Order: sequence, then C-alpha cells, then structure tokens
Amino acid sequence: MKKFVNDPQQFVPDMLEGLALANPDTLKYVPEYNLIMRADGPDRNKVSIVQGSGSGHEPAHVMIVGKGMLDAACPGDVFAAPPLDYVYETTKLMASPKGVLLLVNNYTGDKMVFDMAQEMSSAEGIEVKTLFINDDVSVEDSTYTIGRRGVAGNFFVIKAVAAAAERGADLDEVIRIGEKVNSVTRTMGVALTACTPPAKGSPLFELGEDEIEMGVGIHGEPGRRRAKMMGANEIVEELLGPVVRDLPFRDGDRVALMVNGLGGTPISELYLLYGQAHKRLAEQGISVGRSYVGEYCTSLDMAGASITLVKLDDEIESLLMDPAEIPIRVF
Amino acid sequence: MSSTDLADVEFVVRSLAQTAVDKEEAFGDLDAVVGDGDLGYSLARGFEKVLADWDSFKRDDVSTFLQQIALAISSRIGGTSGPLWGTAFLRASAAAKTLDTIDGAAVVSMLRGATDGIKARGNADLGDKTLLDALIPATDELERQLAAGASPVQCRAAFAAKTRECADATSALEARRGRASYSGARSIGSPDAGAAAVAIIVERMVADWP
Repeated sequence: MKKFVNDPQQFVPDMLEGLALANPDTLKYVPEYNLIMRADGPDRNKVSIVQGSGSGHEPAHVMIVGKGMLDAACPGDVFAAPPLDYVYETTKLMASPKGVLLLVNNYTGDKMVFDMAQEMSSAEGIEVKTLFINDDVSVEDSTYTIGRRGVAGNFFVIKAVAAAAERGADLDEVIRIGEKVNSVTRTMGVALTACTPPAKGSPLFELGEDEIEMGVGIHGEPGRRRAKMMGANEIVEELLGPVVRDLPFRDGDRVALMVNGLGGTPISELYLLYGQAHKRLAEQGISVGRSYVGEYCTSLDMAGASITLVKLDDEIESLLMDPAEIPIRVF
Repeated sequence: MSSTDLADVEFVVRSLAQTAVDKEEAFGDLDAVVGDGDLGYSLARGFEKVLADWDSFKRDDVSTFLQQIALAISSRIGGTSGPLWGTAFLRASAAAKTLDTIDGAAVVSMLRGATDGIKARGNADLGDKTLLDALIPATDELERQLAAGASPVQCRAAFAAKTRECADATSALEARRGRASYSGARSIGSPDAGAAAVAIIVERMVADWP
C-alpha cells in the first residue's frame, strides 16, 4: 500500500505540525501533548469544549478546532486513545472558570483515560465533566466497547455544545444540550474496503473484493454482517432502515441528514447516496431540515460511508446554524 | 506523617515495580493462556517508567507520591491495564490524603480505595475472574488479622498467603471481564493472569521486606 509517510511513528506529529503551519492565525500546536488548540484560547468567559480520540478519523477532531467548534482536540496515535498525561495536561491547560467539557466517543480505552483525567483534574480544583457519545445503532457491544459505539454523529453533539458554550451557557446547560443531541442522533456505516494504518502498512482486516461490512465501526470493527457487494440504493436501504427504526424517526419529523465519507470514497458517490437517502426519507414523511455531505469522521483510507440522522427541534436547529470557523475550508 | 511511613510506601511501590519489570515474560505467559498475552509487556513498560523517573517524583507526602506513580504508569501502559492500575494508585493516593500515619488500618483503607477504584473503572466485581478476586479477600484477611492484634510480620505473611490462595482459586472461575472473557468457558482451568501476577508481586514484597 502506497502512503505519504516518513517515519510511521511520527505520522501524527507530522500531520499536526502541517495543520498548525497552515493555520497560524487560528490554531496553536503544543507538541509535548499532541495538542491542537485555538490560538486565542482558552477563553475564560466560556466553557472549554475538548474532544479526545485516536487519530485516523480526520477531520475529526484536530481539524474541527476553531471558533464555534472545539477549543482543543487531544488525539492519540492512530486508532489509539491518547495517553493519560496528555489528556490530564490538556485539561489543565484548557481550564476555564466556567469549566471544561471533555467529549469522548464511547470506546472503552478512551472512556477509561478520560474518566481518569477527569478525576485527577477535579481533585486539583478544575471544574471538568465528561460526556460520552454513542450514536452507532449497528451493534450493542463490540470489540472495543461496552454499549454502543460513538461515530460520525458526534459532529452534531460537538457543534451544538460548542455553540451553546459560545453563547455563554454554563457547564450544566452545555451538558444538558450535549446529552439531548446525543439522544436524538443515530448512525450506521458500511465499509467497501479495509483501511491501512501508516505504521502497519497493510490492511487492518480482510475484506474480499466482492464483500462489504454492514454496520462497520470507525476502526474497521465488525458490524452486523458481511454481505456481498450490492447496488447503492440497496446499501442506503440497509443503512437507513435501522437508523430510522431505532429512535424511531416518524412521519412529520424534521431531521439533519449526514452522509459521511469514511476516507476513501469520492464525494460524487457520497452525493449519490445522499440523493437516495433524502428521497427515501421524504417517502416516509421525514423532511430534511439540514444536510451534511462530506468527510466528518473517517477511518483513514477506508472506502465506505455512514448515514446519520438527528431529530431537529428549534433549539437544536438554532445551535447547528450558529456560525463556526474551522480549518476545513474551501476559501 | 513520618518519614518512615513514606519509606515503607516507597519500598512497596519499588518492589512492585521491580517485580513487574523482572517478570515481564512470566506475566506475559500467564496472560497468553486465555488473554492476549500483553499483560507482561504492559506492566513492564509502565513500571519501567516508574523506576526510570524514581528520583524525580515529588515526595511531599504519601498521597502526592502515589498520585505521581498513578500518572506515570497510566501514561505508559496501553489498553485497559494502564487506567486500571493507575486508578488503583490514584484512589490509594486519595485515601492517604486524609491519613496522619500509615498504620495497618491506613493500609486497609488504601487497599479498599484501590480495589473500589478498579471495580468502578473496570466495571468488574468479585467473581469476574480478575485481580480483584485475589486482592479483595486478601484485604479482608489483613483487616481480620489487625482486629485480632496480629504483629506486622504476621499481617504481611497472612496477606501474602491469602493473595496466593485466592489467585490460585481463580482457576475455577469463568472470565467475565477483559480480553480473557472472549474465551468464555475456555478460561476455566487457568488462573486469572492479573490475580496470579498480584500474588507473585505480593510474595516477593513480603519476602524482601526490610
């Protein structure tokens, strides 16, 4: 597998350095802790919003740091939870009198590290809470989780809590909003190919030329079933069905619809999936209030996609519409 | 808090760390039976860091010292072992914060803090075939010995013997937590690697006690 890589061990630091050099006015890179933070942060007048996770899911989460989104992202190595001292130091650096919220997708390794960092920094007088995101309907427990996994739907939780924090909400209110958005967000994904971690240099798992993994996790973990390749509309049906039925989303609901690319699928194909998902929702009386098509939470170079629905109400929609500025930009 | 208290705690941590490093291969073999074989490697990397940083730890009091150990091992041990062992030290540190002297009762309360922390962080309890199945009964035994007026030497010997007895007895249990739980019923017949490792650590600690 051909990759742009020098020393594989330096893959994450090299990426972060490039990210910081490309965004000198808005981002600050703290190499000691793999930390990417807002250049003007921490803002003492708002709750600091921090997300931690393994790397390999870019733009999540280092490339969604910016005004109206994350105040900092604390990444580990590719697909590995960040080390405790990094999370602990990040929490202390981001401490604000209004508190710190640590957002974590529900994976056992990450959960343990962030719970512990929360405990340690609380003991030092920092007001800090954790919030776990678990939007993946595919499986209940998995290789790396107790309970459901957190995947691309975490974008909506981040967007909403960050907007609330910018508006001046206190920590309890920010958490209320985060829990609310998480509770109405559902996702399911599919892999067309495996992904290749830079340090490994070969695919992480075996997936036959004519096979797909339905309900795949964002590290390539098994989902519901290994299926034969099928038409795009059939794939949409198999992803959208479980998502709609899970909440359930009903006739008359207004939703945000996200088609997220897993890293190796062209945006043209994502729009093709979007079109079908949008039409199928309309047939069920579910209207799309906001649409999101592109890469939000990837699995390195995996070909595949996930579909996320968020049930909108005035509060959530208004928070999603607030302005934000991140390094992922066209202009 | 006397300097003797801190010296005793330092001995315990140093002995534990040295055993974890020396027994890397043996602990790995224990874990390879039904787990994924990384216990020896994980503990050795974490406690290697403790030994390397030994002189730099703050020693204001027992609590501060243990908190530094928690941070050092959790930062270096990957997977779930790091946060679990780190939490044990962190909760022992929290228990020590309110104590004036490290006597037998204090040791019991620090051990309780540690085992409660592992329970909470790992979502595990007695009978799940984890190191808790050795450490909790051994702590109970220590408490009994103290109540019966046993000497420090007797207490240590009883603690080590109980740890060993209960670690061996985990062979009869089916793993319900951790990577070994993927093996389900296959895990019956072999002791839990974590519990067996704790027994080896405690036996050496007690044998070497100054």
